[in-house]
Parts: sequence; C-alpha cells; structure tokens
Amino acid sequence: MIHLTRARRLSVLALALTLLLAGDPPPAHAQGGPVTLNLVSWSYGVEIVRDNVAKFQQRYPGVTVNYSDFSWGTYHDAMVARFVGRTPTDVLYASDHWLQEWAAAGWIIPIDEPFPQVRQYLAEYSPFVREALTYKGRIYGTPYYADTFIFVYNADHLQRAGISAPPSTLEELTRQAEAIKAKGIAEFPIVLGWGQQDPFSIESFTSLVFAQRNGSLFDKDFNPVFKTPGSAADKVVTWAADALGGKKIMSPTSLQAANLDQIRSLQSGAATFGIVPSYTLAVLNDPGQTQLAGKFKIALMPGETRATVGFIRFYAISAQVPRRGKDAMTAAWSFLDYFGGKIDGEYRITKRWSLDKGLGFAQTALFADKEIRAAFGKWADVDMLQKQAQLARAKDGMTPYYGTWDVYSRAELHKAYLGQQKPAETLANMARKWEELKAKEK
Amino acid sequence: MTPERCYPYATVLPVLVVVALFTVYPLLYSAHLSVHENVLTRPLDHDFVGLQNFREVVTGYYFWRSLWSTAVFAAMAVAAVALYGLGTALLLNQALLGSALLNVVVLLPWAIPTVISGIIWRWIFDGDYGVLNGLLLVTGVVKRYVPWMSQPFTARLCMVVAHVWKQGPLASVFLVAALQVIPPALYDAAHIDGAGRWRAFRFVTLPYLKPTLGLVLIYETIVAIATFDLVYVMTGGGPADATAIIGWYAYTEIFRFLNLGHGAALALILGVMLLGLVMIYLRAFRAEDAT
Repeated sequence: MIHLTRARRLSVLALALTLLLAGDPPPAHAQGGPVTLNLVSWSYGVEIVRDNVAKFQQRYPGVTVNYSDFSWGTYHDAMVARFVGRTPTDVLYASDHWLQEWAAAGWIIPIDEPFPQVRQYLAEYSPFVREALTYKGRIYGTPYYADTFIFVYNADHLQRAGISAPPSTLEELTRQAEAIKAKGIAEFPIVLGWGQQDPFSIESFTSLVFAQRNGSLFDKDFNPVFKTPGSAADKVVTWAADALGGKKIMSPTSLQAANLDQIRSLQSGAATFGIVPSYTLAVLNDPGQTQLAGKFKIALMPGETRATVGFIRFYAISAQVPRRGKDAMTAAWSFLDYFGGKIDGEYRITKRWSLDKGLGFAQTALFADKEIRAAFGKWADVDMLQKQAQLARAKDGMTPYYGTWDVYSRAELHKAYLGQQKPAETLANMARKWEELKAKEK
Repeated sequence: MTPERCYPYATVLPVLVVVALFTVYPLLYSAHLSVHENVLTRPLDHDFVGLQNFREVVTGYYFWRSLWSTAVFAAMAVAAVALYGLGTALLLNQALLGSALLNVVVLLPWAIPTVISGIIWRWIFDGDYGVLNGLLLVTGVVKRYVPWMSQPFTARLCMVVAHVWKQGPLASVFLVAALQVIPPALYDAAHIDGAGRWRAFRFVTLPYLKPTLGLVLIYETIVAIATFDLVYVMTGGGPADATAIIGWYAYTEIFRFLNLGHGAALALILGVMLLGLVMIYLRAFRAEDAT
C-alpha cells in the first residue's frame, strides 16, 4: 500500500482539482457525459464523411465518433455479421432495401418514439421517402440521401444516328438502339447494371417495370401481380431477353456489370443508353473522367407512365444504443439530427452531399435552392431531374423477406435473359418463391 | 496421481482446450443450429424442428443444381491445379538459368489474398475493358471483346483459371519438395536400362510423387468444394447461378437469406460430403499401394 504524507495528499488533491477545472466547461450542445459512437457506413465520399464527423464533434464535444466503412457491394453482409456478432455499432447507414429485414430482426430501432421531433421533418420529404423510411407505421431514420433511377443517353450518339429525341417507350428504345447499331455507332447501345452481385440490379429492373402501364410488382396486400401474363414485368423481361439474345442491342456485359461497370461502358462510348441512380449523371458528365463529359442527358424512364424507383439511404440507430443508456441515445439522436436533419435551420449536410457529389435529397424544397440548381445544372437538366423525382415511387413488396426474394430473383431473371427459360417461367418461379416466403412469415 | 503421470495430460490439455474451443464447440453449435428454426428476421422463433432444415435444404431450389455446378467446378479445378502444380514443380526442379526468379513468379499468387486475386481476375476478364480482351484483340485472336463472365460456360472457366492461379503454387511447393528427395541414382539406373525421359518419369518420378499427389488431390478437392470467396468477388454466383457452387449457398443462406438453420444444415451436409470424398481418396490410394 502507498502511504502519503499530509502534504502529498494535499498536492494530489490540488492536482486533481486543477485537472478537473482545466477541462472545457460543458458547451451548450454537450451531452450528459462523454459518449463514444461507433459509426458504420459504406465507402463513399469517405473524406467528406470524416470532415462532417469532425464538425459534428466540434459541435458536440462530449461525443466522439469512431468511424469504419465497408464497400457498398459487401455492406449488407458485413452488417449482418456485425449485428449477429454484436460488434459495437451505434449509428449506421441503412437502405430502404433492408429496412424491413433489419427492423424485423431487431437490429435497428424506430426513432419516432424516443425522438418524436423527427416527425417535424416528414412533411418536407417526397412521398416515396416517407413511405420508404417507414416500417409498421414507425420511422427508422433521417435521410442520408434520396435518389431516383433515371434513364440516361449519349446525345452525341443520337445526333449521329439522326434521332431527334430520346425514346419514350420500350419499343422506341428498341428502334433507336437498332438504328445506332446499324450505323456502327455502338455495337451494343444499351448497357444495364444487371450483374447478379449488384444490389442495384433489382432496383434498375423495377424502374423499368414502374414505367410501364400498370407497372407494379405487388399489390397493396403483397400479392405478386407480376406473374400475370402481359403484366408490366412480363413486358420488361420479354423485352430484355429479346434485346440481349435476339436483337443483340443490349451489351452481354450487362449480366456481369455493377453500376460502376455501366458508367465505364457509357463513358468509353461503347454504349448509348443506361439506367443509373441520378447522382451517377454527375460522374458521367465529369470532364476529369471522360472526354464525353456533357454528352450524357437524362430522359424520363421509357414507358407509358414514365414512373421510376425512388430510393432512400438513411442514418439509423442500432438496437445496441438503448442498452447503453440515455446519454448514448441522446448522442445518437444528435448524430442523426445533425447529419440528416437541419443545422441552424438548414439541411447543411444534405446540401453538402448534393453540391459536392450530386447526391439527391429527400426534401423536395431543395430543388428550388439556387446553389443546388447551379451545381446540378453543370451536369443535368434540373427540371427534368425534378420531373422524374416527382414520378418516383418507393419499391413495392417491401417486407422482411424482400431481400431473400431479391437474391433468388436476380438469378431467375438472368435465366430468362439468357434464354434458358421463358419469361413466363421466370416470373412464375419468382411468384412461387414469393408466396413460399410470405407463407413462412405468417 | 504422480507428477510423471500428470505430465502427459498437462501438456496435451492446452491443445485440447484450443481444439475444443475452435473446432468442437463451433461444430456442436452448428449441429444445434441445424435442428432448430433460426431465421434472423424472426428472432423469437427458435423451435426444435428436427431434420426439417436438412429436408428443406436438400429439396430447395438450388441444392441439386449447385451440387452439379460444384462437381463440375471441382473436377476442372482439381485436375488443373494438379497438372499446373506438377508442370511447374518439374520446371522448378531443374537447375535452369533464372530459376530463382521463376520460383518467385510461380509462388507470388500464393501470397496474394484470394479476394484480391479475385478482383484482379475480374478486371482481367472484364468484357468491356479487360486486359485479356485487349491482348486477344491486338493479336488478332478475337475480332471484338468477349463478355467472358456473362455466359455460364465461360464464367465457370474464368473461375477455374483464377482458382488455379491462386491454388497452383501450393501444389508446386508440395511436389517440388517430393521431387527433391528422389535419389538421382534411380534416374541413372533407368538411363542405363535404356529408359527415355517419359519412361523415367512414368516409372521413377511418378511412383515417388504418388503420396504427395494424393495429398494435393485431397486438399485441393476440399478447397475447391468449399470455395466461396472467389464466387463472392468475381461473379456473385451469376450469370443465372452458373457459378453458384454449394459453398456459396452455405454463405448465402446465412448472410443473404438470414437463415442460420439452413446455413448450418448445408454446412454440415457439405462437411459430411467432404469426409466421404476424402475416405474414397484414401481407400483408392491404399488399394493402389497394396497392388
């Protein structure tokens, strides 16, 4: 045991007091006590995330954020491993694709009960965002970004082929692609990111379905309507199989391509038409990346309704946080509010992503923001972007088993595209799988 | 108990604990999972279901198809790795000029993680900007870029090439080691008896390599059947599930379908299949040794 003299005890006490007083007084925004938040995201704009985190920590000095990221393609699986292994994870990126799955598993928590103030933002969101953020009537996060799948084309290719306007239906798309192929401008004018490994592939497919007449995959009771002969899905699958194997106007690489591969194919001039998340148009028209910058334009999704998929990526709070106590919960909400809500009256972080990276937003009013219009105007027709966003719908069939069905369906769709089975067979198999999963869920 | 009698138990105990912790416990836990309902999106349902998970896996949409894909992939991969290993081992065993450099070139892929090598090969085979297509186009072998990984057959071949590149060096190392212990006097005797290079290989080299080749075949069969990382990085099982081999589905059941019960059942089926294959190999080698 250490024995201290009276003088030494006083010195130690004085030192302790000095250290205590030397620390910063708690600022206006500080929490109850020091809290560490573990943030997990997919790898995109990592430097911006780090900078935003640094600013957040300045504003909330009691909160320290440990940041880690995983690639987009592996993010879902990495997060499943983290959740199951109970790796410390407090705030995280999530997608509407997995919301029902993760909520049903109890990995993320609804935030509108502990933090009802989140509801103040809802009125400002696009309808598809509100729907996509909701599971069983509860809100699960604040938006990181919200975007739509858009149809893009190389205007130079169209001009060289003597085509005056982009296609407005699938039939027109076929005719234009055939004309471009016939003139030797592009051997495979259409390229899509339909690789089996890409989580975007089902969203891109669904966009085309939504654009057709009666374009839905499921009804409101989650019954698959796509299996009906002549359905919108039937039309899209039949068209794709013909474009790939029959008319050979769709690049065979579409079946191995992820979004990035599709971008490279378009930027190289090898293809004319593609379906991409709208922020990708900023990349396509980036002069630092391609000599074809400025040639890529947006058109409404080809089909009778011109509708498309609107999707949301959001900040969520993991179920580990409530177990850590009130301070951790308050810190987590501060994070969600800072990153996905308003700072001093404006959506500062959301706007930064839009200005720096061209990411879309949940808040419809931001389409009127002068800075955003100026920034987006450098790479897109902003009015057309807005028009397509207004026609966007959240994916239907959003259930805890949607992810399982998606993985199954990607392979089934490939079989139809490759001519291994008829489109009707593919759609019947997809419907059977859906019914099987739905029955198990009950 | 005397210290002398305790000593062997005390020395073996730490190893037993480690083995129990990292092998026996996971195995038992997998067995437990496989007979219970365990779907992560239904966290409150963990009923005992007996062999239901096994039945559902075996009658599932992918099982027989993926088993066939696995057999095709394993047959091509194991044969190719063995031949590549043998060929490079024979080459490395010669005292050639620059053999040290050759050693490095042959062994380098072994040091590269599978995921990285998968990414490299994915780029090489890319149908739009892959190096292979560029090379073949420049040399006039093809007239236009070939989408190697968009067609089921060529996608399987791409996987095999990537697998051989990664796994071949290990086979080489084993076989070089075996080659180096063959007494040179045997080759001298064979030449005196009038044996050419082929007969010397057939009657001297090959019998000496047989035990090591057996080891290589067993190990490579296990590795090929249990492969999932290459699929994960290169194809995601596509196109149309052509490269979705059974190891990939064990992963998919757990991480994509979130069904731990199915995943564990499939992993156990896979384990039993591998055990059966290893036993068949061992019996075949023993039978040949006896003749």
